[in-house]
Order: sequence, then structure tokens, then C-alpha cells
Amino acid sequence: MGNNLWKDTWLMTVRNIKTTLRNPFSFIPNLIISAFFLLVYEGGLSGISQLPTFEGANYLAFILPVSIVSAAIGGAGGAGQSIVKDIENGFFSRLLLTPASRLAIVLGPIIAGMLQLVVQTLLIIGIAFLLGLEVVTGFGGILFVLLIAVGWGLAFAGYSAGVALRTGNAQAAQAGTFIFFPLIFLSTTFVPYELIEAQWLKIAATINPTTYIFESMRTALIDGWVFWDLMQGVFAIVIVCTITITFAAISAKKAVSRG
Amino acid sequence: MNGKIVVEHLTKTFKKGNVQAVKDVSFEVEEGEFFAFLGPNGAGKSTTVQILTTLINATSGKAEVAGHDVIREPEKVRRYIGVALQETGVDPDLTGREMIELQANIFGFRKEEGKKRAQELLEIVQLTEAAERRIGNYSGGMRRRLDLALTLVNEPKILFLDEPTTGLDPSNRMAIWEELRRLNEEVGTTIFLTTQYLEEADSLAHRISIINDGEIVATGTPKELKAQIGNDLITLTLKNEKQQSEAVEYLRGQMAGVDVINRQNKVLIYVEEGTKQLLEVVRLFDQEGYEIEDIQLSSPTLDDIFLKITSEKKEGVRAVGE
Repeated sequence: MGNNLWKDTWLMTVRNIKTTLRNPFSFIPNLIISAFFLLVYEGGLSGISQLPTFEGANYLAFILPVSIVSAAIGGAGGAGQSIVKDIENGFFSRLLLTPASRLAIVLGPIIAGMLQLVVQTLLIIGIAFLLGLEVVTGFGGILFVLLIAVGWGLAFAGYSAGVALRTGNAQAAQAGTFIFFPLIFLSTTFVPYELIEAQWLKIAATINPTTYIFESMRTALIDGWVFWDLMQGVFAIVIVCTITITFAAISAKKAVSRG
Repeated sequence: MNGKIVVEHLTKTFKKGNVQAVKDVSFEVEEGEFFAFLGPNGAGKSTTVQILTTLINATSGKAEVAGHDVIREPEKVRRYIGVALQETGVDPDLTGREMIELQANIFGFRKEEGKKRAQELLEIVQLTEAAERRIGNYSGGMRRRLDLALTLVNEPKILFLDEPTTGLDPSNRMAIWEELRRLNEEVGTTIFLTTQYLEEADSLAHRISIINDGEIVATGTPKELKAQIGNDLITLTLKNEKQQSEAVEYLRGQMAGVDVINRQNKVLIYVEEGTKQLLEVVRLFDQEGYEIEDIQLSSPTLDDIFLKITSEKKEGVRAVGE
């Protein structure tokens, strides 16, 4: 009795990848926006890296995490969108009527969303290299940045899947993605913390976990292997993932329960 | 495992609004039987299907499907049933063939077996030509047929169909009817069908339960249900609608043992000997000065049975309230 969790997860993931690829407009806009951030901010703002606070850092390496986080959040958001689509099409119920593992039904879109995120992040990093990116920590540093992107994406995937499962409604899930803007921009997005003028923005940046993601990526890209600076991103991920994955799990349990 | 459905004192109360959607419902469906649940919107049909197919839990009562308890052994139940809900459940971004293959793989078919099964089913529901097209481009009727194919993937012992022909044009409806008859007669699949269409239940089912307001109000073969309410039906309308209630009361007083139902602008009279009693009705009304606009004599359809049973119930409730 019971179905094979691995086999079911595989089936669900493959199917989600397939349908994502068939809807290029579900990921192309986000990819373009992320690449656009990189090009425009690098082109328009790179002069400010002459300021002493930047300590000679390359602005491209400074702004790259913003673009990566934007791509990661977009990719991970795909998980929630797939779930909402399935609920609206009645396909989610169809799956619940089969012996498929309940966990696999929810994991499939999340894994597919994470894979989408990895591809998008690699594309953005590739573009950065084409623009002349140099990374002090080399290949290991790029790998670290990718892992942080995946971790942060997972946190966001938990959030978006949770909202999707709870509401089952495209508009609500769409509204949920608006958190994207404060997450990205109420932070050390364009300049280091010391250069932020407004007190309210300083407070927001301190609260916003994305700040620690940016800082830890920038450490890897610009400063080198400074352990505790790198770890702040990891801590942020662990804390936020715990919250959002719990939220997703509770919502999933509710969505597949028969109460 | 068997092809039976056994339901005992099933009750479902939705916490939201404290709605009792299913009230102490009990029935049995034998292996190989074609059984219909007939009732209007909101009667509790879909809720019953959702409980029997493991989508939701009952508040109380017991249900066994294919020999397994739906609450304690939902995984086992899911293996042996096929379910088509009111809304089709398909992914518009897959092709029809991919959709069936995926369903087959979920049910444990190996890749090659799944392909073979998909081809068979596409032929059965006549979608071979559209098989490589994405489902998003299918018409409503095609989606329905594909949805039916999906429910058949695992060669279910019991098929649950929740209003499978609602919104379909006559030709698609006929195609589905024929396939259901074939499955029931040739394959021996037990079928549990819900419908609002009386002619659908009449034409397909061996046995029908009429459900209204969460309760089963009558059960029997189409023939038995028709017999239950007398042989003939007189339908009449009065010239002056305002007189109708008064006329109905009068008739009830004059014709003992005859069911007279007051429905909108029509009076329905269920009688044993149509022609004779038709004349009597005309005579009685003539005597009292109720002018008849139109009068007809017919054999009752399931439609009439349904109206009779549900209106009896309503009037019963009213009598208690008064």
C-alpha cells in the first residue's frame, strides 16, 4: 500500500518543469527585470563606487546580489503560481483523488520552482561575467552565492506555496508577491548601510532579512572568505525558512486534509 | 476488495455557517449496479460524492467503498475507484496523451504500459486526433471526455460521476451515456452517478435515490418510483390564478385518496384511472365555478415524481411549522 514518495515526487516535478517551459511568460519577465537591474544600475550608478565607503569595490559585484535575489524570488514564486493554477483547474483535486503521495503533490512544484531559480541565477551570474565581473573567492565564491540564492529562494517558495495553498486564488497569490518590492528595495540595495541617509530606511534595512543575504553574497564576491560575514546570510535563511516552510507545511496539511 | 458501496447514517456538517449538507444518509450499491443520486442543486449530492471518494471526511456515520472504510483506509479506496467531479481536473498545459500517461504513471503503470493504456483510452473517448494538442485548446465536451478517460485509467471497480453531463451539448451527452452503459454492462463497473436530469437517471440507472435537502426521500427502480405515485397525472391551469389555492383545497376535500399538488401556476393531480377522474375534476370545478384554462392527462415522468416528493416534504414541514 501507499505510493512511492520518490517516484511520485519525480513525476510531479517533471510535469511542473514541462508546464513551466511551455509558459515562457511565466519566467521571462522576471528574468528580464533581473538582468535589467544589473545592466541599468551598473550602467547608471557604478560611479558611486568611487566613494571612499566602497573601499574600491567594483559596483558590478556590489549590485549583482540585488539582481540575483530578484531572479531567485521570481523563480521561487513560480512554485506558488503552479499550485494556484492546479487548484483553479481542478487538477489539484484530481491528484488528491489518486493514490499519489500527498507530500509529493506539494513538493513537485516547489522543487521545479527551485530548479527554475538555479537556472535563472546562473544566467544572471553569466551575464555579470560577460559584463566583466571578477570574484575574489573564485569558483567557490560563486557556488556560495548560488547556495545562498537557493536558500533564500526556498524561504520565498515556502511563503508563496503557503499563500497559494491557503487561498487557492490567483489574485491573492499575485498580491502576495508584492512583498517582493519591500524585500528588495528596503535594504542596502544600492549603497552600503553607512551611506543610507534616511533613518527609517536604515531601520527597515536592519529588519529586512534580505540585507543579510545581500551582505553575505557581497562578502563572497568582494571581500573574500570572512566567516562571520558570510554566515549572517546563512542565519537569515535558517530563521526565515523555518517560519515560511512551517507556514507552507501547515497550509499544505490543511489543503490536503479532509476536515 | 469488491465493487460495493455501503453507507450507514452518513452526516456532514460544515462548520462554516453550520450547514448540515448530508443528514443521516444510508444506502447500499451492489457490485455491478448502476445507481443514481437524483436531486436539485445543493441537495447534498456532491458532498456525498466527496465523502465517498475520500476528499472530505464525514462528521459522523460510516462508509465503505470497494470493501474499505473511506475514513480509515483512504489510500486503498483511491486505488479502486475512478472519480469525475463536477469540475474537470486537467492541466491545460499538457496534451491529452501526456495527461493520461501521467495519470497512469501515478497509478503505478510502467512507462510502456502507460503509453499503451493512454492509446486505448484515447480511442475509447474518441480523442486520438486531438491527442497531441494541449488541453487548453480543447472544447468543453472534449475536456469532459478526457476527464472520463482519466477516471478509467486504473480500471476502477467503482466509478463516481458527479453530474458528468452538466453543460454538455446533446451529442456529447449521448457519447458519455453510451460509454457509461458500456462500462456498466460489458466491464461490470459499479457506477454511482449524481444528476439533476431526471431523464438521465431514468435512462441509465438501475436504481435511483432521490435526495433533497441532505436527505434521501425515496429510493427505487425507475419503474417503482413511477408506480409509487399512481398511474396517471392530470395537469391543469386555471383561468384565474388567484383561485388556485382555494381550488386545490376544494379538490382535496372532494377527492379522497388522490394527491393534489399546488405548484406555481399549475395544479398536479395524481390519479389511478385517468380518463374517469379527469371528467370528475372538470365536473367538480365546473360546479364551483373555477374556469379551467388548460387540462392535460399524461403518465408521470420522473420529473413529476421528483416534484411530488419534494413538494410533499415542503408541505409536511410547513404543516409542522404552522
